Amino acid sequence: MSKLVIDRLSKRFSGTVAVADVSVAVGDGELLCLLGPSGCGKSTVLRMVAGFENPSEGRVLIDGEDVVALPPERRPTGMVFQSHALWSHMTVAQNIAFGLRLRGLARAEVKARVGSVLELVGLAGYEARYPAQLSGGQQQRVAIARCVVLEPKILLMDEPFSALDAHLRVRLREEVRAIQQRLGLTTMFVTHDQDEALTLADRIVVMRSGAVEQVGTPGEIYAAPATRFVASFIGTMNLIETEASGGSAGLAGARVGGDLPDGPLTIAVRPEDIALGEPGWTGRIERVLDLGAFRMLDVALDGGPTVKVQAAKGVPLRAGETVPLRPLGLVAYGGDGRARRASIEFGNLTNVVSIHG
Amino acid sequence: MALAAPILVEARRFPVGLLLVAAPMLLLVVFVLVPAASAIVSTLTDPRSGGPSLANYRTLLGDPLSRGNLFFTLGSTLAVCGLLLAVCLPVALYLRFSSGRLPAFVQSVAVFPLFVPGIIVAYALIRFLGPNGSLQTVLDAIGIHGFRSPYLTPAGTVIGLVWEGIPLTLLILLSGLAQIPNAAIEAARDVGAGRLAILTGIILPLIANSVTVAFSLAFLGAFGAFTIPYLMGPASPEMMGVFMQRTFSELRDPAQAQTQAVMSFLFCAAVGVIYVRSVIRSRRRGS
Ligand SMILES: Nc1ncnc2c1ncn2[C@@H]1O[C@H](COP(=O)(O)OP(=O)(O)O)[C@@H](O)[C@H]1O
Ligand SMILES: [Mg+2]
Repeated sequence: MSKLVIDRLSKRFSGTVAVADVSVAVGDGELLCLLGPSGCGKSTVLRMVAGFENPSEGRVLIDGEDVVALPPERRPTGMVFQSHALWSHMTVAQNIAFGLRLRGLARAEVKARVGSVLELVGLAGYEARYPAQLSGGQQQRVAIARCVVLEPKILLMDEPFSALDAHLRVRLREEVRAIQQRLGLTTMFVTHDQDEALTLADRIVVMRSGAVEQVGTPGEIYAAPATRFVASFIGTMNLIETEASGGSAGLAGARVGGDLPDGPLTIAVRPEDIALGEPGWTGRIERVLDLGAFRMLDVALDGGPTVKVQAAKGVPLRAGETVPLRPLGLVAYGGDGRARRASIEFGNLTNVVSIHG
Repeated sequence: MALAAPILVEARRFPVGLLLVAAPMLLLVVFVLVPAASAIVSTLTDPRSGGPSLANYRTLLGDPLSRGNLFFTLGSTLAVCGLLLAVCLPVALYLRFSSGRLPAFVQSVAVFPLFVPGIIVAYALIRFLGPNGSLQTVLDAIGIHGFRSPYLTPAGTVIGLVWEGIPLTLLILLSGLAQIPNAAIEAARDVGAGRLAILTGIILPLIANSVTVAFSLAFLGAFGAFTIPYLMGPASPEMMGVFMQRTFSELRDPAQAQTQAVMSFLFCAAVGVIYVRSVIRSRRRGS
């Protein structure tokens, strides 16, 4: 059974729709990421689960029980805020102990739990520090400890690392994943950072303008974006605009066929899904960007747009060269933005690929 | 040349800054510090021999009337401070944690006395609270008799000073509350704190400094008040401000008036120390 069920949840703020009919189920011990651009309603969903906002419509079920009527202090959820939200007048130990003391735990018990949770987040020995005496990363660790020590049924995290520098963000991400796995915490994690979502999540919910665009594992979402928006939002993607009529469309001398509606069509191809040296398109290398692990080329297709192509390090390539190249996988999006089954043909060459519909 | 330029700028900026500070400093020294110091010295001087002496203070503390006035002032001032916090804290909490038109209206009403001179406050209150004032008229009209006006009683002074002190106290408390992030309150609810636990465990400790500052400024304002106690208070006992004025101009005893002033200053200085320490503490915590 799902630990947390969000059922047809909507929220309107005096006219503006922040969340529109969102339904998601989170399994026991699962880490689910809400991913989407700023303002798409991620925080509002999280805050409705925590109880800080009342839904305009819909239900929030935890262990099968509707919690919408409960105030935040009576919900079995724990939230980590973007700004750590530690209490500046309390030491680290007091911050963590506050919730335990409210539950009437004995002094010795409180002390033991504070000690072990600080151990867990790697801050043993910091009990007597004040929040202002900690670095940003340490403050956020304390905020996590403050939540985790209460053993919430659902852990909620709202962009907890977005105020930290990139290096620290990556480290804390891994630490959070490790803690979440170790304690088996059912977690809902909000981020606008696709890398964070892809590396952290068991499943991702991609949101846009208050609504769910796609739910899936990181692999599914990366390989088969269900909408044009997801294709443009996740990873690097070549988005090539063309026009379909009679069920097919032209693309730099090739033909894209399949289940295509007439009208504007977007073809999406990942740079790593274009094979250099394979017969198909012909293009001129305009720029070679060495990114260390691989190289990224800008290739102007003959009679078509310029696309990004990922190339391995060893291959000798220079700007100005003309090369053959062929897409190994693509997705087409019709005027409604939905993915369509599609394949591509190059003259009399045998064709490739069809992806998903 | 390129290296020398910034140094020149620094060198030129320094005396300008000093000059800017110098003018008010000079005024402060000439018109405040020097007269104050000379007054303090003169209260410690024997009028006949010219040598050092505590005679003035012995007279002040030996005189039951003077002593009574001093304690009366202290008591009234503490009552004013207590009432101000009791009235303003709930209002400030309400204003901080609610939104809409009503709070905005309440806030403008509460801050209104700031723009009314003390003497007008006094007369307005006299018209309202005084014998046969509007309050008594209303009470009589609805059949409640036996209203005893606080006019010319210690309560009159306290009511007037509280009314006058509300805006400043409220603004200080509000600025303290404004510094508490919403997330800090939400985090407390999230770990299970109800209203009372949030108030006592989070909000009050976080605004302790603002409360101290509000208390100090209310104390300083009330202790040295003149207009309100003069117009609304009893003839005896008197608040120190009124007492000093009467000692100086009616009893024509400048030496005692000065001694009273120095005594008042000592009380206020003690509160001033609390104020300064509180400000330093909040600077140091830097949050
Ligand atoms: N308290 C509020 N009052 C009015 N509008 C709000 C409020 N909170 C959020 N919104 C609006 O709802 C939308 C979604 O906000 P939010 O959930 O914070 O987005 P995200 O977390 O994805 O950036 C935004 O357009 C935002 O302006
Ligand atoms: Mg947000």
